[in-house]
Formats: sequence, structure tokens, C-alpha cells
Amino acid sequence: MATTSLMVPSFLPASLGGLLGGSRSGKILIVIQLSGGNDGLNTIVPYRNDVYYQNRPRLGLQPSEVLQVSDELGFNPGLEALRGLYDKGLLSIVNSVGYPNPDRSHFRSMDIWQTGSGSEANWSTGWLGRYLDSECEGCVNPYHALELDDSLSLALKGRERSGFAMGKPEQLRRTNDNAFLKAVVQASDSHGHEEQVSYLYKVMADTQASADYLYAQSKVYQSKVDFPQTPFGQDLKQVAELITADTATKVYYVSLTGFDTHVNQKSRQERLLKEYAEGVKALVEGLKQNNLFEDVLILTFSEFGRRVKQNASNGTDHGTANNVFLIGGSLARPGFFNAAPDLLDLDEGDLKYQADFRDIYATILGKWLEADAGGILQGTHNMLPFI
Amino acid sequence: MEKIQHLYWRAGFGLSPREWKEMQGASLQQAVDRLFREAGADIPVEAPPPPSERPSRNMSEAQKKKLQGQERESLTEVRKDWLLRMSNPRYSAFMERMSLFWHGHFACQSFSGTLAFQQLRTIRKYAFGRFGDLVLAIAQDPAMIRYLNNQQNHKDKPNENFARELMELFTIGRGHYTEQDIKEAARAFTGWSSNPQGIYTFRPQAHDYGAKTFFGKTGAFDGSDIINLILERRETARFITRKIYRYFVNEKVDEGLVDSLSRQFYDSEYDIGQLMRTIFESGWFYEPHNIGVKIKSPLELVAGIIRTLDVRFIDDKALIFLQRALGQVLYNPPNVAGWPGGKSWIDNATLMMRLNLPGYLFQLSEFSFRVKDEPEAAQQGKALRRIDATLDLEPLMQILEGVPRESYYDAFASFLLQAKPAFNPSLMARYTAQGSNWDFARTLAVRLMSLPEYQMC
Repeated sequence: MATTSLMVPSFLPASLGGLLGGSRSGKILIVIQLSGGNDGLNTIVPYRNDVYYQNRPRLGLQPSEVLQVSDELGFNPGLEALRGLYDKGLLSIVNSVGYPNPDRSHFRSMDIWQTGSGSEANWSTGWLGRYLDSECEGCVNPYHALELDDSLSLALKGRERSGFAMGKPEQLRRTNDNAFLKAVVQASDSHGHEEQVSYLYKVMADTQASADYLYAQSKVYQSKVDFPQTPFGQDLKQVAELITADTATKVYYVSLTGFDTHVNQKSRQERLLKEYAEGVKALVEGLKQNNLFEDVLILTFSEFGRRVKQNASNGTDHGTANNVFLIGGSLARPGFFNAAPDLLDLDEGDLKYQADFRDIYATILGKWLEADAGGILQGTHNMLPFI
Repeated sequence: MEKIQHLYWRAGFGLSPREWKEMQGASLQQAVDRLFREAGADIPVEAPPPPSERPSRNMSEAQKKKLQGQERESLTEVRKDWLLRMSNPRYSAFMERMSLFWHGHFACQSFSGTLAFQQLRTIRKYAFGRFGDLVLAIAQDPAMIRYLNNQQNHKDKPNENFARELMELFTIGRGHYTEQDIKEAARAFTGWSSNPQGIYTFRPQAHDYGAKTFFGKTGAFDGSDIINLILERRETARFITRKIYRYFVNEKVDEGLVDSLSRQFYDSEYDIGQLMRTIFESGWFYEPHNIGVKIKSPLELVAGIIRTLDVRFIDDKALIFLQRALGQVLYNPPNVAGWPGGKSWIDNATLMMRLNLPGYLFQLSEFSFRVKDEPEAAQQGKALRRIDATLDLEPLMQILEGVPRESYYDAFASFLLQAKPAFNPSLMARYTAQGSNWDFARTLAVRLMSLPEYQMC
């Protein structure tokens, strides 16, 4: 029950304190979702492994193509910009992240990653939504968790609170620039409402206040760093600018789509990874310029990796375990976690996972966001020493 | 009339202005009878055009791809058609609403128009019949069999997915069975499969004919025996009754009422029609605390708007866009537990889309909204900027026939809003056109439909 939040006179937005105080949110988390199932084996390539080349006679990346970072592993050539971060100790890569009884459907596996459930359960709230529900500090701000999109992902939906969706600040402001609805909010007697109506009024009032706030914040600082001229690149630019403007947002959520590479994977994946890496590099650079990077952690995941064996169309089909990237200015242990995937010990042609994705969530929730990881994830998970 | 409106919002998608006129002077009993009569005389759903490729086991990759593409397109048609049926007073609103309930209950994602249509036909066939018949038909429904992997349920390697959801979500609910019961039930459903043409097929060589012990009884049970054993449990009647109560009456459950309803449901051998009649003929259903307290689902909202304004979309892609933008796409529930409903429909983006939608339809404002990309999408999709539609406001305006201009607000508010606003109506004067009666009424309607209160039913 949101009794407490409903007791707040809804029409003076509960977020007013945040608006006036406007202090930096301390540690900031940026989640980057690679949608469609990024092929982890051609992202971090085991370029000395014969089994890899046997399974991918045409799709395998040759040792001369990959950006070698260890005796065993190298980056996809699209990740040149990320290699720089790796060399500076700003990147951790967790190999073989997954969960028991993996599901190979995009929808289902994305739900599992976004809710933080096991594959046997059907949860209707996201892991970050439940973080908002957990009475975390500053959570009353609707934009405490902000998704850069017109609609909100399940990951940011909680039972009583949800994150905030914003495609473009101008558009958000225009959508909410409705004098009639503003007048209605002002004129309504909050005690006259039934609980559900009261909830709608609260979301409406919060949205109006947030739209104005975020629009104003988006005008505070213009980054001079060169971000990719793509929707994803511009989303990251927006994130960099909002963080620099001292916005009271603690979690940012951004997606890059197109990784469902069943056909002619090589050029498409390389192009997408390049867009990803150059966007992230620019983001890091922008934050560093303003001495903010120590406060930022970037989590990158995809709903699954792909099968070890390439298919007949020079692509790959849906698989299981995958690598997860953590980028930040305060990593405790940069570099690789877990050995490179074992390509001989497979589960029906797919990689076995070595780390549960909820261990990563638990670590971020507990050690970075200082929240009750056990309660939010409804179970105990191993903390990984990356932060 | 208030009671009839409540009935029509819960058993259907609200009254169209014409229906509202017709129902003036009708008794509540006549209204209930009319709903049941219409549901009984339902016009069958039309099958989507069949794919040109005939599915078979030895298709080439190219044929398979082509077929998948055609099935996807035909699924889009099924999604549009169903929403149009919900929106059109020509069809039985009660049948559409009851089917929508069962679709959310037996939540199923499909990528095939053929299979989605088959399942919809099955749901409609049993929507008001015996719950047991419906469960059995769903257990043999190819879309469900594929969604819950029952084709992979083989005696040598049972797949428990269907058996688990059957008990947890479709019939008895958590807490009334053991993990062992699931394992045994899964064995009973081995071999319940579907062939490439999408027809239910029993595969004897995959079926486990051995003895199973389920709910303490032992026998060589098959799937229908398991369903019967589940139906013997009173907890099953209660689980379903409670869910129907939450959906049709109130999310805040009166457990005593549910107890007595579920006893009746059990004793009637799970007669769904009879249960619905009891609810709609009861006095408590019409008590004020049950009126206007449910947040409309996206489909309920959109169907209601189309009915009220007689909306015709110039490009019917809008019917899909609205499902996606507002978060309820037919045959694509979030997971097998269905749409959680209530507050979960609402976030800043969906609420503002809901509140602004009547304005978009009246073409008072342009917008820009990008729905999330399908996971298979190669690149980011484009934002939609307009919903082009024609409206026929004549029937709506007839509600004002004989009403003096100063009472337009009351007349429209009582027709359009199930939850009464908590602000002084004089506010409206500043936000409505003050010219002709028509202009005034038109802007009044769009304002009322833009209120949070309009989201309630």
C-alpha cells in the first residue's frame, strides 16, 4: 500500500524537495540493454580456441581481426573504443552470465532479465521497479529512475512506484503542456477521490512536475563531446548532460536494438558494437571532464547470447549464457571474471552459465545503490567483487 | 440508468450513445437479459486468410520464413479484428469481454494468426459454458501447447511447463498441490501435441501409460483425468471465482461473497454463465463502492472511446499502435500469468497517452510516440505522429436532446464518467468553446474524456 505517498498532498508534487534541494544523487547507475540477443562469442572472441573455429567456419573472427586483450580472448573489431577503457582499468567483463533452465524466447528471457525472476516464475514487477518500491532514499522523485524512451520497460515498473519514461525532453514537455489538466490538478480535492483515482491524479501531477523539471535540466549543460549521431548515441548524450546538470536521477536506462542476427551477422554486429562502444566512450569522456565518472557505474547486458554453432545463413540462433560488461571509474577489480566459456561442455549446443545474473544485480543493489538486495531480489545471491 | 451503465462497463465496454438511448426506461433485469441474449446469438469470428504455404515437416528454410511472415501478418489481422469487435455495438460486447477475460486467464503468446484464431474460437465456444470443458479444450489447443512446450512433453523426458501453469495459474492456484503432483500431472499430459498444420494430435508413442499418483489417488491417469481431479477440489472453484470477482466486480475482494459464489459455482458443476448471471443480478454488484473503482485496461479504454465517438481509423494500423503504446497487445501478454491489471497499466507514458488520446482523435493536437521495437527489429522504428480518424458525433450529441445548455455538463458527465470528478464543474467554462451549442458540447466531451476519472469503470 502506498498509504504514505498518498497521504502527501498529491498536488504539491511530492518531488518538490528534490526540485529545490537538487543535490547529486551520489552513486549513479546506467543500464544499457542490447536488445535482440547479442552474440557474446563474437563480442569477446576466444581466438585461440579451435572448437570456436570448427563451430563457426565462416562466422568466426580470425586472430588477425580481433583486438587481442589476453592470450585467449580478444574484442570484436567494432569494440575499438571499448578497448581503450579496458586498457585504463575502467572495464570489467563477466563471462558466461545466465540463469538455470534458460529460456530462448526473446520475450520471456528479456522478462526474466528485467524482472530478476528465475525461469520458473512469472513476476510482474522489474528489479529496478522494486528498488523504487523499497523506500530508497530519493525514491519519491518519479525520475529517480529514468528511461530514455517514449515508453517504460518492465525493469522499471514496481508495485507502488515506477520509473519515468522520457523520449525527448521537448516532446515530454509538449505532451504535458496541457493547461486544462494542470487546472484540474490544481482544482481537485484530493480527499474526494477513491484510491485508484487518487493514484492517477498523483501520477499525473508528478508527471507534470517532472516534465517541467527534466526539460529545465536538459537545458542546463550542453556536452561538447562527440557522440554518435544515432538515436542511441544521442540518448547517451542526454544522460551525460543530465548527470552533469546535477539532476536528481540515480538510475538511467537506455537501449540499443538490432542484435537478433540470424542472417549475415558479421557486418551488422560489428556496426552495432561500434555504435555501442563509441557511445560509451563519449559518455565516459564527458563524465570524466566534469569529474563525475567515479560516481558512475554502467551495466551492459543482453537477454541471451547465441548458439555456439553458426547457422546456414551466416548468422547465429538464440542461445543462453552471455558476457556482461561493467564500466566505471571506481571498479574494485577491472578485467575478466570467470574463465572463458568452455566450448566443449555444452548444454544442447549452448554455453553453460558460470555466474547468475542476479548475483550482478545483487552486487549493484547492495554495494552500489546501498539498497536491500535480498528483499528486492527475493533471495540471497553471491556478491561479486567488481565494486 | 446508472446501474445499467455500470453493468455495461463491466460486462462490456460501456454503452454507445445509441444504446444509451435505447436503454432508457429499460429495467435492470431487461438489461441483464439482453446481454445474455446477445452473447447467445454471437456472430462467429472470421478466420484470417489462410497462408499460401502449406506447413509441413520438410519445408525449406525459405518456405518456413515465408510462412512465418504470413502468419505474423495474419496475427496482426486477428488483433485488429478482435479490437474492432470489442468496439462495435453490432457484436455482443459481453461475449467479447468474457473472451477477453479468458484470454487473460489462459494467457498465451502466439506468433501465428491461424493458431490465435483457433484459440479464440475455442475460448468463445466455452466462454459461458462449463469451466471444465474450457480447461480441457485449452489443454488441447495448439497455440497453448506450443506456448507451454507440451510438444516436448515426452514420457522419456517429461516437460512440466504446462502441468505447472495448469495448476498454479489456470485452475487451483498456489498452495494446494505439491511439486510431486506437478511431476505426476506432467506425465499424464505426455503426448498431447500438435501437428505442423496446427491441429491437436495425441501421440501414443510419447504418452506415459503408467500409474500416476496425483492428489493422493493412484491410477493410469491421462490429462483429462487430471483435470477432473483438479475440478473435484473446491479450491479450484474458489480460485476461479475470486479471479472473476476481481475482474468483473472489484479488485478489493469481499471474501465472504466469494465464498458463497464459489460454493454455487462448484455445485453448478462450474457453470460459468450461471455464475455471471448471479453476479449481475445481485444487489451488491451495483453498490456505489463497486462503481467506477477499476482502472480500464487499454483495450477497454480504446473500445469504449471508439463506441462513444464512433471512430473510424483511416489507417487501421492505429489499432495495433494503440495496443502497443498503451501496453496491452492481444496474444502478447507479459507472461503466462496474464496482464496484472489495476495500477500496473499506469506509468507516466501510458497515463499521458491515455489522457491525450481523445484530443489526438479530435485532431486538437499532434504528438510523437515511438513504441518499443520488437526484439527481431533490425533497427529502431519510427515515431507515429498522427492518428487519422473520422468521428461521428451525431449520436453523442443526441444525448443532449432537450437538455438546456447549462445542464450539458451534467448530461455528459453522467454518460461519460463512472467516477465523479472532485472539482467544481465551473472550471470547465474556461476550457470549453463558448460559441455554438455544438462547439461547446464538442469541447466539453473531449475535456471530460481527457480526465483521469474517464480512465475508471
